[in-house]
Amino acid sequence: MTMHVPVRLGPAELKLIEQLSAAGAVAAAERLGGAGLPTRRVEAYHYTDLKLLLRAVPELAGAAEAASAPALRVAGAYQLMIANGVVQETGTAPAGVIVGKSAGSVLTTRDDVVTRLNLALTRECLTLDLDGSVDPVIQIDRRTEGAAGHSTSAAKIFVADGGSAVILETYSGSEAAHLGNHATYLALGKGAKVTHITVNLAAKAATHFASNEYHLAEGAQLRTLIINAGGALSRTQLFPRYEGAGAHADVTGLNLVSDGQHSDITMDALHAVPHTSSKPLFKSIARGRSKAVVQGRLVVARDAQKTDAKLMSQGLMLSDEAEILVKPELEIYADDVVCGHGSTCGRLDDESLFYLTSRGIEKGEAETMLVRAFLAELVDPIEDAALNEALTAVIEGWLAGK
Amino acid sequence: MTTPMLEIRDLHVRIEEREILKGVNLVVPKGEVHAIMGRNGSGKSTLSYVLAGKEDYEVTGGEVLLDGVNILEMEPSERATAGLFLAFQYPIEIPGVATMTFLKAALNAKRKANGEGELSTPDFMRAVKEAGSALHIDSDMLKRALNVGFSGGEKKRAEILQMALLKPKMCILDETDSGLDIDALQVVSHGVNALRDPNRSMLVITHYQRLLNHIVPDVVHVFSDGRVVESGGKELALELEAKGYAGFDEVAA
Ligand SMILES: Nc1ncnc2c1ncn2[C@@H]1O[C@H](COP(=O)(O)OP(=O)(O)OP(=O)(O)O)[C@@H](O)[C@H]1O
Ligand SMILES: [Mg+2]
Repeated sequence: MTMHVPVRLGPAELKLIEQLSAAGAVAAAERLGGAGLPTRRVEAYHYTDLKLLLRAVPELAGAAEAASAPALRVAGAYQLMIANGVVQETGTAPAGVIVGKSAGSVLTTRDDVVTRLNLALTRECLTLDLDGSVDPVIQIDRRTEGAAGHSTSAAKIFVADGGSAVILETYSGSEAAHLGNHATYLALGKGAKVTHITVNLAAKAATHFASNEYHLAEGAQLRTLIINAGGALSRTQLFPRYEGAGAHADVTGLNLVSDGQHSDITMDALHAVPHTSSKPLFKSIARGRSKAVVQGRLVVARDAQKTDAKLMSQGLMLSDEAEILVKPELEIYADDVVCGHGSTCGRLDDESLFYLTSRGIEKGEAETMLVRAFLAELVDPIEDAALNEALTAVIEGWLAGK
Repeated sequence: MTTPMLEIRDLHVRIEEREILKGVNLVVPKGEVHAIMGRNGSGKSTLSYVLAGKEDYEVTGGEVLLDGVNILEMEPSERATAGLFLAFQYPIEIPGVATMTFLKAALNAKRKANGEGELSTPDFMRAVKEAGSALHIDSDMLKRALNVGFSGGEKKRAEILQMALLKPKMCILDETDSGLDIDALQVVSHGVNALRDPNRSMLVITHYQRLLNHIVPDVVHVFSDGRVVESGGKELALELEAKGYAGFDEVAA
């Protein structure tokens, strides 16, 4: 056994340990007590030093009493809700959808504090079984209501072989300094085609953690759009697993950060078998004194020949005080693969701005046009018109300073 | 005497400590078309950018009056809505901005400045279609992102399309003829001539007398080393073509 120098624990860590112990998660509590929250020295948290950034943890959230307005409404969507971790009753499910709930959380165990907290503290999860071509957009609305609370939630979604679905998850709640920790397990059967969109609209003072685990069987096609627009501190972790030949994902994500916000999208992908492909594309727009983080790790297993994976990260800085931090990592054990990464970061192009303004378009509007242009690649592939409109509204709202 | 459309008085401009424009004097009366000819690097595009309000240029002296109003302190968008238009030598490609979205924004910006309401979509479509067909611009081109993947000639035609839609009172055309084939030159010249109007003036920058056979100027100015060194009738262009710029450099010296 290695000896560790005892770590000095802060109030956030002490509160988490107390909550873990009360939930009976003795091992997790001990682990946190020994190591503390991850600092920048932990590679996966290099730019999101939780020990520094997570200063306080509220009491575990009780049952939700009042409900705030839905964060995002999409015409025609089938709505499900998890409020303060509790799966809510819903109306009749559309054809091909079976809604249920089961005990515990949904994530695969891994050496990660956010995952460990979700696994230990989540009492129940929403389960969804999707079969055939599911017509309406399925929305899982996750809320944290009432006074500041620590709330964890989970959803487990199976899409049958050949099935298709569009799933939207939204995270919001009352205006309090909540700590939300949400998990999604999404398994795509053979040839299944899924669009998974998550929109973090957590309150300004809130901390938002989300972990999405994806399992892709043979020929499965996934597109994600992970939007971090809310919260003081946000971290969305993506764990795609390519487990069948022909599986492909366009993993896309967007950090929209304003003054005082810190948002992180961290992907850790595993291409486990031969002939799989992925095109992760992450964008960040930062204004005011803010920080956006994108970490992308591609692991290609030794057997996973013919993997084709291209990771791209693009940043747009709208102020001098903003920071966009990007860390790609390739870990390739197979020898016959096409893998790469690239990143760009800059400001709005002066030449383009001049061209637009020279036609009479005011500077502010011209800037907005260029920001929209920067984001078009992420939003345009969302085919459902009502959903596309709702996402555009989120972005426009952010641009308008809301 | 009526106010000229454009009056440039002793304009001095620097880029990064280097003086590029060294006292430009130029007057374009209303309704007239003037041509500027001058060798590469003499400062013609710099002049057009400074007039349109591009940053990075330091105006160290002089005045520019558009229809009697000093525009040097105005933003580029204000100059545009005041009636100035620059057809770029190298139009900028802007991925992600649809050409139609851009055209609509530009038209509405002008209407807003004039206190008019926004154009309805059918009216807008009709206006673009009319102006486009006169310039032989097919509608597929307009469905693409702004200037992205346009050929050199298509970009120039798109500039004239914008000009036709925005109906500016002072048009500056920076080498609109370069990159055009013979037929396109006819089409574009025809488009420009159609916009000639007693209340509209044009400043046409070109290297070739050929363009001036199509767009016949009232006055030709010779530009050399950051200033106008000679002005005359359209025959001056022929003289230039025959003699080259060398003869005029002496005038400047
Ligand atoms: N941004 C800049 N920074 C430094 N020098 C510049 C810049 N823009 C222009 N210049 C210089 O200013 C001078 C004038 O350039 P300009 O483009 O105005 O010439 P022009 O007369 O339009 O030439 P052409 O006929 O080739 O189009 C050139 O020497 C050019 O190198
Ligand atoms: Mg030039």
